[in-house]
Amino acid sequence: MTAVALRAEGLSRRFGETLALREVTLEVRQREVVGVVGENGAGKSTLLKLLAGAIAPDAGQISVRGAAVRWREIRDAADAGIGVMFQEPSLVPGVSVAENILLGHEGPAVRFGIIRWRKLFALAKVSLAKLGIKISPAAVTHSLSFSERQLVAFARALAVEARTREAPIILLDEPTSALDDRDIAAVLRAVEELRMRASVVFVSHRLEEVLRVCDRIYVMKDGQCVAECDARTSTVDALQRLMVGHAMGTDVTREVAASHVEGTVCLEVRQLGRRDEYADVTLAFRYGEVLGLAGAAGSGCEELCRTLFGIDAPQSGTMLLDGQVVTLRDPSDAVGRAIVYVPAERASEGVIGEMSVAANMTLAYLAQFCGRWAIDTRREWDVAELWIRQLRIATPSATARVSDLSGGNQQKVALAKWLVGERPRMLILDHPARGLDVLARRDILAAVRELARDGVCIVILADTLDDLLAVSDTVIVMRDGRISARYSVAGDRPTQQLILEGMV
Amino acid sequence: MAPFTVLIALVLGIGAVVPSFLSAYSLGVLADAASVILLLAIGQTLIVVMGGIDLSMAALASLTSVIVALLLPELGAGAVLGALCVAALIGALQGLVHARAQIPSFVVTLAGLGICSGIALAIAKTTVPVAEHYEVVGWLDARSWGVPHAFAFGVTLLALFQVALGCLRFGRYLYAIGMAERVALLSGIRVWRVKTLAFGASGLCSGLAGVCMVARTSSGNPTIADSLLLPSIAAVLVGGTAITGGHGSLARTLLGVCIVAVMRVAVAVAGIAPAYEPIAYGALVIIAVAFTVDRSSIGIVK
Repeated sequence: MTAVALRAEGLSRRFGETLALREVTLEVRQREVVGVVGENGAGKSTLLKLLAGAIAPDAGQISVRGAAVRWREIRDAADAGIGVMFQEPSLVPGVSVAENILLGHEGPAVRFGIIRWRKLFALAKVSLAKLGIKISPAAVTHSLSFSERQLVAFARALAVEARTREAPIILLDEPTSALDDRDIAAVLRAVEELRMRASVVFVSHRLEEVLRVCDRIYVMKDGQCVAECDARTSTVDALQRLMVGHAMGTDVTREVAASHVEGTVCLEVRQLGRRDEYADVTLAFRYGEVLGLAGAAGSGCEELCRTLFGIDAPQSGTMLLDGQVVTLRDPSDAVGRAIVYVPAERASEGVIGEMSVAANMTLAYLAQFCGRWAIDTRREWDVAELWIRQLRIATPSATARVSDLSGGNQQKVALAKWLVGERPRMLILDHPARGLDVLARRDILAAVRELARDGVCIVILADTLDDLLAVSDTVIVMRDGRISARYSVAGDRPTQQLILEGMV
Repeated sequence: MAPFTVLIALVLGIGAVVPSFLSAYSLGVLADAASVILLLAIGQTLIVVMGGIDLSMAALASLTSVIVALLLPELGAGAVLGALCVAALIGALQGLVHARAQIPSFVVTLAGLGICSGIALAIAKTTVPVAEHYEVVGWLDARSWGVPHAFAFGVTLLALFQVALGCLRFGRYLYAIGMAERVALLSGIRVWRVKTLAFGASGLCSGLAGVCMVARTSSGNPTIADSLLLPSIAAVLVGGTAITGGHGSLARTLLGVCIVAVMRVAVAVAGIAPAYEPIAYGALVIIAVAFTVDRSSIGIVK
């Protein structure tokens, strides 16, 4: 047996009312890939943050290569050769990719305090090449899409290799969650290669991936480590049973809506365009229909959704709402017309972490929760309780702070925000299941289908092609800002292969 | 609780050295001196909770005092109403520019400070005595049962705004914008309206502070309130309202105003010349922020 690279013993951590981690013990050996799986809120991300020195444990001990450590900040962990990629990519938007990758460990790229750009770009290129990705080190980070930034964050985690003489320890929190299949393959290949020279902790919801790439797997549930499995002998079913405590049926959100009747047109866009984003988009969104948008990063899907919600105005083309020409100047215009949007980046756009669950849910339709003057908190709490039950949100109470909830439950709060008022006319969802576990994902997608049955017009940018085909009635594929294919799922159900071909 | 402890300690400390400090009369004098700072701090609290700052308040109060003093003889009560409207409009205009042109409130109100001072100096080179109709504002300078009217007025206004912050949509929106403006925007809140309204309210508070100044000195002066900017901001922060937005209340501000007022006395009791008072306020601001910044999460501070 090889030596232990990283060991955590009895780690506990509390956030407000929630005990996020309870006496977790875990061990990573040299040149080993260890998987950590569990539902949302099981404590995976918290565990990783503790191991990376981003937060301090309330109790427990971490040791690296046999020596006990106590970190005050991430930099201390980086000095010990621990590189980390968090679930929400934390990059500086306004600077180049190379600066982000080497931020804090510029090393040879800085001489006498002056950056040697050529050297910096060369070093960054090495990190990017390890992942086999084609992103220019000189590109400005905010011009990248979410998935490209995810890859840059991965490259950044690998940059500690240059910093330590020991074999590095790389911690990856959902490295594949926002990626399309091609990029996922690149990431998994990179993890395989890392096994030759490093130790890896790999957190993912995609159990097939975990089984494929890991040697050992820890299963977490309710903040505890409930099982440790050998990846060679374990199966997806066995892991799922351990994660949720019971067997799961097949993960299908619905019987394909073969009986689907075409609804009337809710929103129609004609020759819609925005420079460098999308062009010549002509589409009809119908009541009671789930329209799934598929496209790789930079295909214009996300940008189109933001235009439909009034965030970025189109530069050409027209929009018709119920047959009338409409201009959406800002999101409040859209909300006023019952067009609502669940953003992909829930932490910075979806919910207010410091506010209570109830206050988040009522934020958009607060007027409906007011008496003549004041907010009726009784009514507010009643409605919050109702939606906590409806969407099965795991929270200690309606008054708990949203930041104390797990990602999946936060996302449910972000969705509930649009359900507490009058039924929306059109619901736009940008990667609603990003980083969510099987159960939470199923809950969200089921809620989406339910809304469509009630006649809501739904636009969804799904996280995986599985989700896309499971939930959509119509699939629109985009590539380079233009529509490249249209399918009706009920009629000519497209294969994943076919959709992928339209995307790349 | 910390600000409360500080206040008690200060009061008892001064009381031990100068027993007459705790008499009703000298507390009345203290309240009188604090009333203008209180009015300014009320407006400032709304803006700070929203995550902004209003540096123009004291200059706007000075400008209002000049307008009131100039127009009182001709218009009487109309002068006061008119001047308050002007102050509220100037405040709202700053909020509108800040929100619509996406310019930080710090910059807009710093410019506003300059503009208000400039206008005040342009229309009145120096002190303008109130020639007639002083009685319209004079009641503010009087007392009932030893309580200065201006202070009682300020506390009433504070209570009203506290209810607005805690119970009205406007208050919820202020906190939401202070905590996460982007989420507020994407929830369909018309952020620019809330900001305009909040800055309008802070302009109104500045105007009321200016009116109180006229009542106290029976004159208007283009720089009369200027030195009160620092103490009023100090009062908000020392009460425990976070400069980063989203956290705080007017109850805390009332506590902060009391601390600042008592501090003035403490400085005098310690035998320090009043000219050095701003040093104490400056130190107070830094200490207050040091105690109220939330360091539980890894924070970035600019």
